[in-house]
Amino acid sequence: MSEPQAGAGTASTPADAAGDDLVRVENMVKYFPVRTGGLVRRTVGHVQAVDDVSLSIPRGKTLGLVGETGSGKSTLARCVAGLIPVTSGRVIFDGRDITNLSRGAMRPVRREVQMIFQDPYSSLNPRRRVGAIIGDPFAIHKTSTGGERKRQVQELMERVGLNPEHYNRFPAEFSGGQRQRIGVARALALKPKLIICDEPVSALDVSIQAQVLNLLADLQRDYNLTYLFIAHDLEVVRHVSDSVAVMYLGRIGESGPRDPVYRSPRHPYTAALLSAAPAADPDTAAARQRIILTGDVPSPIDPPSGCRFHPRCPKAEAVCGQQEPPLEAKAGDVATHLTACHFPVRAGENLAVAGRSEPT
Amino acid sequence: MSLLEVTDLTVSFPTADGVVRAVRGVSFGVEAGRTLGIVGESGSGKTVLTQTLLGLTPGAEIGGRALFDGTDLLQLNDTQMRDIRGARIAVIFQDPLTSLHPLYKVGWQISEMIQAHDKSVSKQQAHARAVELLGHVGIPRPERRVDDYPHQFSGGMRQRAMIAMALALSPQMIIADEPTTALDATVQAQIIDLLLRLQQESNTALIMITHDLGVVADIADEVMVMYAGRAAEKAPKRDVFYTPHHPYTKGLLESIPSSSAAGGRLKPIPGSPPSLINLPSGCKFHPRCGYVLDRCLTEEPSLRLVSEDGFHTSACWLPLQAAGLGEQAEELRAETVREGRGEAAEQVYEAEIAEAVGPEGSVAG
Repeated sequence: MSEPQAGAGTASTPADAAGDDLVRVENMVKYFPVRTGGLVRRTVGHVQAVDDVSLSIPRGKTLGLVGETGSGKSTLARCVAGLIPVTSGRVIFDGRDITNLSRGAMRPVRREVQMIFQDPYSSLNPRRRVGAIIGDPFAIHKTSTGGERKRQVQELMERVGLNPEHYNRFPAEFSGGQRQRIGVARALALKPKLIICDEPVSALDVSIQAQVLNLLADLQRDYNLTYLFIAHDLEVVRHVSDSVAVMYLGRIGESGPRDPVYRSPRHPYTAALLSAAPAADPDTAAARQRIILTGDVPSPIDPPSGCRFHPRCPKAEAVCGQQEPPLEAKAGDVATHLTACHFPVRAGENLAVAGRSEPT
Repeated sequence: MSLLEVTDLTVSFPTADGVVRAVRGVSFGVEAGRTLGIVGESGSGKTVLTQTLLGLTPGAEIGGRALFDGTDLLQLNDTQMRDIRGARIAVIFQDPLTSLHPLYKVGWQISEMIQAHDKSVSKQQAHARAVELLGHVGIPRPERRVDDYPHQFSGGMRQRAMIAMALALSPQMIIADEPTTALDATVQAQIIDLLLRLQQESNTALIMITHDLGVVADIADEVMVMYAGRAAEKAPKRDVFYTPHHPYTKGLLESIPSSSAAGGRLKPIPGSPPSLINLPSGCKFHPRCGYVLDRCLTEEPSLRLVSEDGFHTSACWLPLQAAGLGEQAEELRAETVREGRGEAAEQVYEAEIAEAVGPEGSVAG
């Protein structure tokens, strides 16, 4: 895991067997201090938003990051994008260590890492014209001006399925789906290598959601883009991802190639999430054994000891509260399918019976 | 006679930009112990519809009838409505944080409502009832949590508190407006489980408004699919999911990512929902419909029976037998299109294709 530090700008040590990872996150930790109010501000604790997370995304592929509110998935994304500094650990992007770079050193990297945000209503300045919004990246990075910039912006608009003649309109004149296309065009402007999509379709209606997902798939194919795709909708993640990582309270509970994780989840939390996701099919819904977890996600300021999932886990035993399970391949799984659990779910095991107790 | 019988309900809002025709002639019934799922996208009128039933749309022009247990809800004055709202028809809203008062204790808010509807209940009795209700909806240690403020509750617990409040006066009907949309998947499953259990216990009628077809598949008995202020299709749940007749319903089902086609192309519905101020002519779905006929441009279809059992209704000009996702139905639709699509409809259809085609000729729809 910990190779010698590769200096910024130099070629990295060929670390991985797979070799061509665009992004590698190594043992990332991100704590936010919790301070008291008043004159003397003392730090009384930390929100352990991301705690020792490692993952990698091969070039041109999509990693789906799944987790509930407070699981740390958005914090992880922001750390990868360099928007907030990490507490410890490393982010390797395209062979370079970009962890906590200075603003100046980060600048060229920012062209290659772009974000698409969840809410197409609040992520676009309502008082600026669409052409100016999409043209911002060109202005900030001083890559083009005037008529040249306008031509580039209109090309982008056409590429994402917007009418280039609407260059002078305001965001309010577009529907939700079209606004999300504006966000995509802006992210695409500087020909990035990595696009971090933070819940890009959750605010859209289903019929529109499919339009945007198809667009993202086309762009990935045409420009060999790499996506870090965050969503809470498991069907959407299954649709777009090559591999999946499931986060719970700042840690990865399970990760691996899409199909094994979805077909035979080994972590009880993954199994519960998959069973809880509503299926748009009455017979499936009726036949399914839903695992109803008890309680809510605990506070990341004071996470449970041992396995963080143990207070809600239908399979928990004494050891789960004492020892943190390592993230490792379990017997019978492919080597890339990793699970952090002392008692991984076996094929055909029915957790619903154990889980369907009185809510606590 | 159903518990609630809504007939030809219309709701419109006069605004500076024109009249917003939010609901345009919707009829449906709900019986005790049954669940009606109302599905639709933003702007389909599903929320306005139910808020109107409860007198929560001041300033609206309302037409039609809504008989609840024999009383027309649309004719009640404010005082009469207050006796029904909360006591006989309860509502659960989407966002439990904004529907609880942040400065009052959760228990106080529940007992206040009990006392408001029944003056003979003492403070102690109401408080005891609040504790009992919180326990019933699965709040741990309710005797202590009853004195918490809403911010001390998690999202799931707040929604449970809202449900406790809705149950406080044993209503005959509950209207749940996107009750699980703001919640995480595992918590959503808990809440749906709870609603189903409570409904079975007390034979309550439930109207579930949602944009999530998965929730409907789980919980509904009948489903009404709304588009641009009208019912596009209304049928028992299985008919809607397995033999949809209206192209909008079919489009919705096909645009959901499913495990069988992971990684492949999705089939979105081209375009976006119309403005309720400036509605298209004829069938309001025709500018997005793949089966548009000449007739659709001028005549708006009403709900009509498409099945022999007499329950499945759809507002579409396609032949009655053109229901379902199978090949036979698709052939019938294609044949109808060949016969019924003239030049005008062809133009509409070509505009849709242009919308759905990517810049490099890849068909997105």
